[in-house]
Amino acid sequence: MMKTVLAATAALAASASLASAQQLAPSPTLDAIKARGHIECGVHLGLPGFSFADDKGEWTGLDVDYCKALAAAVLGDAKKVKFTPTSVQQRWPILQSGQVDLLSRNSTITFSRNASLGLNFQGINFYEGQTFIVRKATNAKSAADLDGASVCVAAGSTEEKNASDWFLERNLKVTITNFQKNDDAIAAYDAGRCDAYTAGVGALAGQRVKLKVPGDHIILTQPISNDPQGPVTRWGDERWQLIVRWVLNGTIAAEMLGVTSANVDQMKSSSKNSEVRRLLGAEGNFGAMMGLSNDWMYNVIKQVGNYGESFERTVGMGSTLKLERGQNQLWTKGGLLFTPPFQ
Amino acid sequence: MTRAFALLNDKRVRDVVYQAALLLGLVALTVFFVRNASENMVKAGIASGFDFLWRNSGIDVPFVLTGYTRSSTVLDLFWAGVANTMLVTVVAMVLATALGFLVGIARLSSHWLLSTVAGAYIEFVRNIPLLFFVLFWYFGVIAALPAPRDSVSLFGVAFLNNRGLTIPLPEAPVTFRWAVAAILLSWIAQALVAAWARRRKERTGQDAPVLAIGLGLVVVLPALAVTWASLATGWDVPVLRGFNYRGGFVVIPEFVALLAALVTYTAGFIAEIVRGGIQAVPRGQTEAAAALGLRPGRILRLVTIPQALRVMIPPLTNQYLNVLKNSSFGAAIAYPDVVSLFMGSALNNTGQAIEIIAMTLAVYLVIGLAVSAFMNWYNARIALVTR
Repeated sequence: MMKTVLAATAALAASASLASAQQLAPSPTLDAIKARGHIECGVHLGLPGFSFADDKGEWTGLDVDYCKALAAAVLGDAKKVKFTPTSVQQRWPILQSGQVDLLSRNSTITFSRNASLGLNFQGINFYEGQTFIVRKATNAKSAADLDGASVCVAAGSTEEKNASDWFLERNLKVTITNFQKNDDAIAAYDAGRCDAYTAGVGALAGQRVKLKVPGDHIILTQPISNDPQGPVTRWGDERWQLIVRWVLNGTIAAEMLGVTSANVDQMKSSSKNSEVRRLLGAEGNFGAMMGLSNDWMYNVIKQVGNYGESFERTVGMGSTLKLERGQNQLWTKGGLLFTPPFQ
Repeated sequence: MTRAFALLNDKRVRDVVYQAALLLGLVALTVFFVRNASENMVKAGIASGFDFLWRNSGIDVPFVLTGYTRSSTVLDLFWAGVANTMLVTVVAMVLATALGFLVGIARLSSHWLLSTVAGAYIEFVRNIPLLFFVLFWYFGVIAALPAPRDSVSLFGVAFLNNRGLTIPLPEAPVTFRWAVAAILLSWIAQALVAAWARRRKERTGQDAPVLAIGLGLVVVLPALAVTWASLATGWDVPVLRGFNYRGGFVVIPEFVALLAALVTYTAGFIAEIVRGGIQAVPRGQTEAAAALGLRPGRILRLVTIPQALRVMIPPLTNQYLNVLKNSSFGAAIAYPDVVSLFMGSALNNTGQAIEIIAMTLAVYLVIGLAVSAFMNWYNARIALVTR
């Protein structure tokens, strides 16, 4: 009798867990990641502060940190990422063809990319505007002073078109020379081929470090565009997109809620804030809803830190780039970062 | 039944059947790949088709030969890229052939220093990758040239700096079209005169004053035409304003660097082809010509080179095709060729990877086949006719 009851309970439990598993939409990307044991993340070829491999092959940077956070959330270990450096030209085909699970390589979110390239943008991890780097000796104070100048830019970037449009609108005659890679463009600028090099503020700060005499150059402060950037996925596999989006939201929410890598253990066990408890898996089953373990964000914060920690370490005051938080500050502190609640 | 077997045994019938089967297989394979790709693209939400070619390009190109501006279509951008590829390829072929001939002949010279220097150059060039040449010329040229403010002035009308060579541009280019037409006409006239003189010499053995007439038709008349055209129009002379010279036409350093790299690199290979071709001519031919009292220059021109050409043409064709393909190295230094403009900028702006790569491949295929068809025709024309 006892045996039958046990067997019946076990069967019931099994069918219940089966039922709950069936409620989740299939996610081929997540299944493939779990099977192979690591995330394939497409990053920039090499941009200090965003994605840069040191001489030991260790990747660091804001975009790299996001990939690590995703690995911590999905596989419980921030180290389980394989980085694929991609050029401006390669990035979309590599994502579209399924060679990488996502791109995290400071690419601007645009309408046509979203509408016609089968790409989805899962939120913003860096707000920036495009501007110019010039030699101090030119005395140029803003982009409007660049009449007659020649400008080096990476071919096919949004910057190429932005700059062209901006100068045309103002009737300024500027020669734009398109290089295949950002590195080639900045090298040509450094060699004197161009009067200016244009890219986003963050990218310029990262590239300036590579110049022969960084102190001879100045980054113009007034941006000519807005270039929001964030992780990119291909169309289809909604559940994977959900994970990519909410890991990003989670890192920003953690900063807003005051959860850091230093206090995450204590917050998880003793915080009375329900949102913190749900975020860290002490309450509810938010991880399980997406097919992850419930301590998904706990792992992220513990191993990678919240958004602010990552920002300071990679591009902020704790890095060589020394960028202000600016627009990338929380909305509560005058910036643009805002995240939907964990409810 | 036996009839069908008999047909199958016929070699010609079998060949046709095999070839038809192969062709059918290829077509089926292509159809399979195209359908597979387009289905996958629809599934992935990627737009396909060639509609993007009529969209506005919005891309600035610093060096255009066509009427392209940033408000032209993507198709115009494609043609601008093709024109730039053709320009650098054709000019590089001509210059590389000239330099290659000089070096190849120098390599065979009895003068020790000359042949050693030529030999060293050939070995150096053939053992170094082309990309190195491209980058060396580009960053070498740029580092060596002054900034716009300190430009090298050529007679106060043309200016050389690290942004390129700025030359005056005629305000009414139509006079130059007339000049070009006049030049072409006088060259055709020269060809006719030369043909007439050859026939006359074969018939009567008399020399016509070909040199004087030729000089007049090939050099003097064209020079007069160009002088007339340049006097008949106003000139847009570049003036230094702000960052750089305004007005005129800019020959960009990317063009110069790519051209120099292609020429110096390819000349090394052509030199070896020339040496091989000349050495393939039996020594008895030279000796026989010398026995007839011909001087070394005439032996080279009338006896050795015509025979050597037959050996040289096929490998030379390969080198020309290499120049065409290698011109895509310009993408490494921002020379706006078809790879850089179309497979770079346009591909990124539109994201139509499959269509754009297919079109770019087609460009190289068409130009390449045209070059090799011309060379095959030339080869057949100069081939030894045995009676």
